[in-house]
Amino acid sequence: MLKIENLTKKYGNKRVVDDISLHIRPGEIYGFIGHNGAGKTTTIKSCCGILQFDSGEIYIDGISIKEKPLECKARLAYIPDNPELYDYMTGIGFLNFVADVFGVGAAERQERIHRYADIFELTGDLAQPIASYSHGMKQKLAIISALIHNPKLIIMDEPFVGLDPKAAYLLKGIMREICDNGGTIFFSTHVLEVAEKLCDKVAIIKSGRLIKTGTMDEVRGDTSLEQVFLELEADND
Amino acid sequence: MTRILIKKQLTEVFSFFRKDKKKNSYRTGKNLIGPVIMYLILFAAVASMFFVMAENICEPLVNAGMGWVYFSIMGMTGTALGVFGSVFNTYSGLYMAKDNSMLLAMPIKPVNLLAARLSGVYAMGLMYELLVMIPALIVYYLTAETGILTVVFPILVTFVISFFVLSLSAVLGWVVALIGSKTGNKSFVVVAVSLVFIFAYLYLYNRAVSLLQIVISSPETAGRFIRGSLYPVYQMGVAAAGDIKAFLIFTAAAAAVLGIIYFVLSRSYVKICTAQKGEKKKEYRMQTSKADSVNNALFKKELKRFTSSPNYMLNCGLGIVMMIIAAAAVLIKGDLIYEIIFDTMGLDKGFASVVACGAVCFISCMNDITAPSVSLEGKNIWILHSFPVSGWQSLKAKLKLHLVMTVIPMLILTAGIEIVIKPGVLCGILIPAAAVVFVIFMAEFGLVINLLLPNLDWSSEIVPIKQSMGVMAVLFGGWVFAAAVFGLYVLVYNFIGPEMYMAAAGLVLAAASFAMMRWLKKRGTEIFENL
Repeated sequence: MLKIENLTKKYGNKRVVDDISLHIRPGEIYGFIGHNGAGKTTTIKSCCGILQFDSGEIYIDGISIKEKPLECKARLAYIPDNPELYDYMTGIGFLNFVADVFGVGAAERQERIHRYADIFELTGDLAQPIASYSHGMKQKLAIISALIHNPKLIIMDEPFVGLDPKAAYLLKGIMREICDNGGTIFFSTHVLEVAEKLCDKVAIIKSGRLIKTGTMDEVRGDTSLEQVFLELEADND
Repeated sequence: MTRILIKKQLTEVFSFFRKDKKKNSYRTGKNLIGPVIMYLILFAAVASMFFVMAENICEPLVNAGMGWVYFSIMGMTGTALGVFGSVFNTYSGLYMAKDNSMLLAMPIKPVNLLAARLSGVYAMGLMYELLVMIPALIVYYLTAETGILTVVFPILVTFVISFFVLSLSAVLGWVVALIGSKTGNKSFVVVAVSLVFIFAYLYLYNRAVSLLQIVISSPETAGRFIRGSLYPVYQMGVAAAGDIKAFLIFTAAAAAVLGIIYFVLSRSYVKICTAQKGEKKKEYRMQTSKADSVNNALFKKELKRFTSSPNYMLNCGLGIVMMIIAAAAVLIKGDLIYEIIFDTMGLDKGFASVVACGAVCFISCMNDITAPSVSLEGKNIWILHSFPVSGWQSLKAKLKLHLVMTVIPMLILTAGIEIVIKPGVLCGILIPAAAVVFVIFMAEFGLVINLLLPNLDWSSEIVPIKQSMGVMAVLFGGWVFAAAVFGLYVLVYNFIGPEMYMAAAGLVLAAASFAMMRWLKKRGTEIFENL
């Protein structure tokens, strides 16, 4: 579903992502772990077509994001680490805007907004301007907007930041349900316990390079993901 | 602490010079030369208008030994332009900055934060005031015999005036904030109060033009009027002309006014900054929403952006109100206008048609909605970038908003003018046709300039709306284009008929618009998608 081949992204002369390759299949929840500034967000933004990269290729559902960015974007949803949404819109206004852009019909959007807004207990606030939302409410709204067009691939950058424990729990359930139904999720996180419980596969990035990838069992072996992560960080210093 | 905050504030104001999007870094050293030169050229182009004004009045007044009247007039003009330039951003600049919460949580005294915010308003007012005062000083130095006092004092007075500008802007911003904190719809309050201010300003400006005519024809009368009716302005003029006592009085007055305003503002600053909106929470009930096309969704987004921001509406959409008011004025004062155009000025209908077309275009330039539209995406730019919409679709929505908001009132104004001047069938068609092409040209011009000079890193929306070189270039550039395209007719009206001229002007503008459209579709789209 998401294939990254030899991705390299430079800012000036600095390689922030250096020759990364990953293959994420339908039905997988793929965790992306690394310290701050390791290159996670740059990789994620490249996958979503937000950032142009210097070399390599990214395929969404077999389509090159370089050659057909709009077709790729129609298949995916992106949730950023800091959900800067349109403050001047109401919650429902934003959801309708997203649904219009992705061509979601009236009945479908109604059903999905109803379902996810109820799950995240946001229904009553949808008439409020986004400017009045807390960080967590914005994050919930960003999540609902990402689910509204039933994407094949969801790419999330630190999706649990700002969510209350109940919402985080619900989101984990939704993520699992989506992948059980054939969807794919690629997300970055600093919460290793969540990654360990939720992910089918995991990739660890350091200074722009992948230092470990594989299924959760392959990566962590007999120890914990946290232990492996810390050891790998130390080994590469 | 205040110094650090002021430095941060001014860095934000002037960030458009420094940000290099291509390298994702800030320009330093010699890389700053290009943007600074561009800004200086633009500044000089606008200041040249006031240079002409200064030249007209300086020599007769200096020769009559009334240099102080010259400084009174230029100082008033500078104050008016400074206030006009800074007042619309004062409310949001002082109270609505996005980093308010962060800074208020730091060990910073609110008075220091207020001082820093005021420095941003001050910089804006000074920048506008200098458009008048720099040419005023240059003309004075070239015309009058100067000594140390008459060289130094006009410069010092220029800076003292800028504190008056700051005081006036700050008071208005505070009034808007106070009313807004007690009412639900801040946008409405800000727009209403600001429109009242604009019309008061226009009234005073109208009176100033009359005064200017008196100044040129009878300096002594003007001097008596200023001394008798506008005492602070008199002190300002005398101070600038080199009178130490007047300078001290004027400076003390400016300091006292600013001090009082600073004291009053500081008492309510945090309360206003942190005030919750007085809107009642609306409970949302599930209802069926109508699906819309992508292009309509993008257009509605732009419309919502525009109508939800008083700053955006007032600074970039003032032409809407002005064109409708002008249309009403033209119809109400139709007989008088007819008399002035055809009897007093002796113009024929053809010439009047070209002038009317130029005037409509000139007023329509007060709408520069596209000029900050790309920058206003700010940190939200990721949304459009991650959605399956092309950059061109997004740009097209911005163009469409500009056209809808400008063409409709422009056609109303054109209809009003045509009822009065009765231009004939062909001219009657060509006036709105050429004006519509001009509006398309300006909408594209604004977008091109914003794509070339984008600024997505701002904490107050006033930065891209008001404090940007691109918006100034589009606003003043539009006036220069309108004056150039239609003013040229004065030189050629003996050789070319009005119909032919308007058709030719329309074709030239259409060709330029076509070229810009091609650029926007290709290069402009690339730039937008890579912001």
